[in-house]
Amino acid sequence: MTATAAGEPLLEVEDLRVRLRTPRGPASVVNGLSYSVRRGETVAVVGESGSGKSVSVLALLGLLPARVATVTGAARLDGEDLLGMSPERLRQVRGPGVGMVFQDPMTSLNPVLTIGRQLVEGIRAHGEVSKAEARERAAGLLTEVGLPDPERALDRYPHELSGGMRQRVVIAIALSNSPSLLIADEATTALDVTVQAQILDLVEKLRTDHGTGVIWITHDLGVVAGIADRVLVMYGGRCVEDGTVDDVLERPAHPYTRGLLGALPDLATADEGELATIPGTPPAPTDLPTGCVFWPRCPVRGDARCETEQPPLQVVGAGVTKGLPHRAATWCGEGGAR
Amino acid sequence: MSTVSLGKGGAAAAAHGEVLVSARGLEVHFPVRSGGPLRRTTGVLRAVDGVDLDVYRGETLGLVGESGCGKSTLGNALLRLVPPTGGTVTFDGIDVTALGRKQLRELRRRAGMVFQDPFASLDPRRTVAQTVSEPLEVHGLHPGRQARAARVQELLQLVGLDPAVATRYPHEFSGGQRQRVGIARALAGEPDFLVCDEAIASLDVSIQAQVLNLLRRLQRQLGLTLLFISHDLSAVRHIADRIAVMYLGRVVEVGPAAAVAAGPQMPYTRALLSAVPVPHPELERSRQRIVLRGDVPSPSRVPSGCRFRTRCPDVFEPCPDVDPALQPVGSAPGHVAACHLHGVVGEPVRREQPDSPVDAGDPAARPVA
Repeated sequence: MTATAAGEPLLEVEDLRVRLRTPRGPASVVNGLSYSVRRGETVAVVGESGSGKSVSVLALLGLLPARVATVTGAARLDGEDLLGMSPERLRQVRGPGVGMVFQDPMTSLNPVLTIGRQLVEGIRAHGEVSKAEARERAAGLLTEVGLPDPERALDRYPHELSGGMRQRVVIAIALSNSPSLLIADEATTALDVTVQAQILDLVEKLRTDHGTGVIWITHDLGVVAGIADRVLVMYGGRCVEDGTVDDVLERPAHPYTRGLLGALPDLATADEGELATIPGTPPAPTDLPTGCVFWPRCPVRGDARCETEQPPLQVVGAGVTKGLPHRAATWCGEGGAR
Repeated sequence: MSTVSLGKGGAAAAAHGEVLVSARGLEVHFPVRSGGPLRRTTGVLRAVDGVDLDVYRGETLGLVGESGCGKSTLGNALLRLVPPTGGTVTFDGIDVTALGRKQLRELRRRAGMVFQDPFASLDPRRTVAQTVSEPLEVHGLHPGRQARAARVQELLQLVGLDPAVATRYPHEFSGGQRQRVGIARALAGEPDFLVCDEAIASLDVSIQAQVLNLLRRLQRQLGLTLLFISHDLSAVRHIADRIAVMYLGRVVEVGPAAAVAAGPQMPYTRALLSAVPVPHPELERSRQRIVLRGDVPSPSRVPSGCRFRTRCPDVFEPCPDVDPALQPVGSAPGHVAACHLHGVVGEPVRREQPDSPVDAGDPAARPVA
């Protein structure tokens, strides 16, 4: 699974910041996010609503309206700067470079066009292909994502398919130009667990067969445990902890990560006691606390700097596993026992 | 629709005490109409199709299943929020399907509902106090404005809200707080029975835990009986005493939560549980998921015999021909499942009906010899 350390960096993000103009004042949605994704690697971005996980990827792809969003920092896809790109170049890059899958397949598919037409459109937009050829490739893609009877499915409309089938179609569209990077934003959240299992298997296969880099945005730590090589935990627009999936989920260092894991009812351990809870609610991006973003909810705050100074990401625990440092942004360090 | 196995439920009833809510052969069928001006009835959608289920007083029964399996409709039918088209529902010994207006109002007081979406289920133009006191007014409880206001304060405290929020409007609250308001309203009539339909589904993980803990505390404190409907098996395993699994309109397995979670006896339950990801990387990577073939059949074209047979990895001869009844399985008392692997028990399928949907063309439906 983790033969990825050797992979070359595909996407590099440095100090990404996104500010949005909102009716309630400026919102600092992403506040200095740095990470990289290598070929064939799956990076999971975890966080609750409002943590900035979706906005951070929309910003990379120029999908935020320029009127309300200010994006700063640097992002390189295959060495090419994404943030300074012209809209035309960005369009060229998005298809073959990056495929995106959003949460709700019904809103990302056009309800009045057949599945075939939507797939063919994507294929022809990025290559000199005849209609017949494109249609053949579309059928091939549907077979690859495990849609039964792909030839017939091409002539169907989205409403004729079930939720799991639709999400497969969306994934097929995202893959239609063999992107080197696949971004999935809560792609299986609306699906039943049995269908989710099918989709996760599919993504795993793509990654191993094609060396696709994957950014998997989710709040489901169970899904993360199964598919990710690396995890990035976001809170209040920042990465508060990152490292290999084993380090972050089995040896969490940040009080927030520990809180999230403690709050999760766990089928594997079937602990029937009270769930640990994180008091309060996540901060609004229009009104972030000064100091550490997590301190108002933090159960172990005790350092004088908590309320005044944002802790930097520092190497914690065993340090570096498989070439990846395990880092957390907390003043409480090793002392903040679980 | 046979209730053979539930004769043995006597032992379970003794262990669990008295039955509060009971469904027998419960059916909720909706007509499927054609498009066009005639809107002819072209079929029947069997949302709930022959459910036998008991909810014991003081327990939390978790009801799980995939979307479209009929779990919400079943919850609604138990409260008569949708009229059953067949079978019976009794609440504390009273036949719910035959209630008159006045008695129905009393049922509404004694059996409440917590809805999924706290954004949609609260009236945006009413303050928290108005929302929570409405049931008090309707049922004539705590008469007098002051008494009602005092009761509202009490209810808000009960669900962990500051009574000072009574004058505020829903938009001023976060999702978790709104769900607490929804729970306070549901508790206003001092109900015996509460149906929580995906009550935590739209909340963030850290907030879900708060609401789960609250429901559990309330259940113990007030001696409530809960039907906790959810697609989240981990949450159900955590909160429920017993788990009922639904597939395509039918309850296919019921038993003590630990027994169902650790030793599922019906292939569908097994597949469902194996698909739930757990937050332990090593365990998760080494786990063998049972990936089911295909999609859930439409509830308007229910396969003959066992309705899971079209996707079942263990399908064999009797599956298309005998509609399995719930029968005792495993070692835990009160653990029942509708599966021929435990012995062929049930009603033979009547073949003479030409309209019985036997999808012979489905390759997955062919019995594996």
